[in-house]
Amino acid sequence: MDNARREIEVMANLRDSNDMQAEVNRAHFRKNNCLAINIMGSPGAGKTSLLEKTLPLLNENMSVAVIEGDIFTTKDADRISVHDVPVIQINTGGSCHLDSKMVAKVLPEFDCQSLDLMIIENVGNLVCPADFDLGEAFKVIVLSIVEGDDKPAKYPVIFRKAKAVLLNKMDLEGLTDVNMERMKQDILVINPDITIFEISCRTGKGLQDWTNWLQDKVLDFQS
Amino acid sequence: MIDHTLSQHDVKRVLKVKIKVGELTNAEPDALAMAFEAYSKDTLCEGAELIVERVPLLGCCRDCHYEFNVKLMYFLCPNCKSTNIEVVQGEELLLESLEVE
Repeated sequence: MDNARREIEVMANLRDSNDMQAEVNRAHFRKNNCLAINIMGSPGAGKTSLLEKTLPLLNENMSVAVIEGDIFTTKDADRISVHDVPVIQINTGGSCHLDSKMVAKVLPEFDCQSLDLMIIENVGNLVCPADFDLGEAFKVIVLSIVEGDDKPAKYPVIFRKAKAVLLNKMDLEGLTDVNMERMKQDILVINPDITIFEISCRTGKGLQDWTNWLQDKVLDFQS
Repeated sequence: MIDHTLSQHDVKRVLKVKIKVGELTNAEPDALAMAFEAYSKDTLCEGAELIVERVPLLGCCRDCHYEFNVKLMYFLCPNCKSTNIEVVQGEELLLESLEVE
């Protein structure tokens, strides 16, 4: 009978191994009163530039650390390290996204108890990072307007799951055919609760508003 | 997960692997099939058929409680035009069952 053809019911979540570690990471951040955010976006959208511009704007009594995800190089961590914050580079070695286990592996290297904010910059990609919970409090997308106003509709999953989207490179608005209204409308139809910022890391436009919003989120998390 | 399940049963080989993939995931059926083929080589699953069931995205309006199929990620209630929509189905990535002998 054992060798007869039969069906074994499983009904198990294929994300379990990632999701369970993500919950452990989340509990770790919670215990240490440290808000963790997961920054995602295409290669070249301006994720690292955003961090470079945001770090100096943060209150000086806010203690922050950065995890940089990259496939091969330490270029991003090198750019962040000059800002005098703890930074660790994760090289995914070919993988197109960070997962919760990679993050868990580097967490012991930080003094999380002293941190208010942990910024995790994911690998540049609008697809896969959306499916991997790292244990963050929320996700933030950087989308540069020169990528085109069709991108939210083409990559809806990531926009559905994010709390904020930063539309970067606004200084180039007049130089492209991007339809800002369509871009924002599409984002809001996918996710009406998302907060949209129009920024330019080059000129500084919108960065103070974004930083204030982020600091408010840290305070909310800690209260 | 498959290995874990098989370790609890007396199985000669796996004939079919059924999974459910929600529309609100980026798991792509062709990519899953390729990954499965690579994974299953030299295991009890080698040669098994991977059956991917796409689970449609269902939303429920938090304002009027109307349930509807969300098409093209357009989160708008067709009944009352609210955008306050809860996802009730479509986020799953499940190993449903194994057909074995």
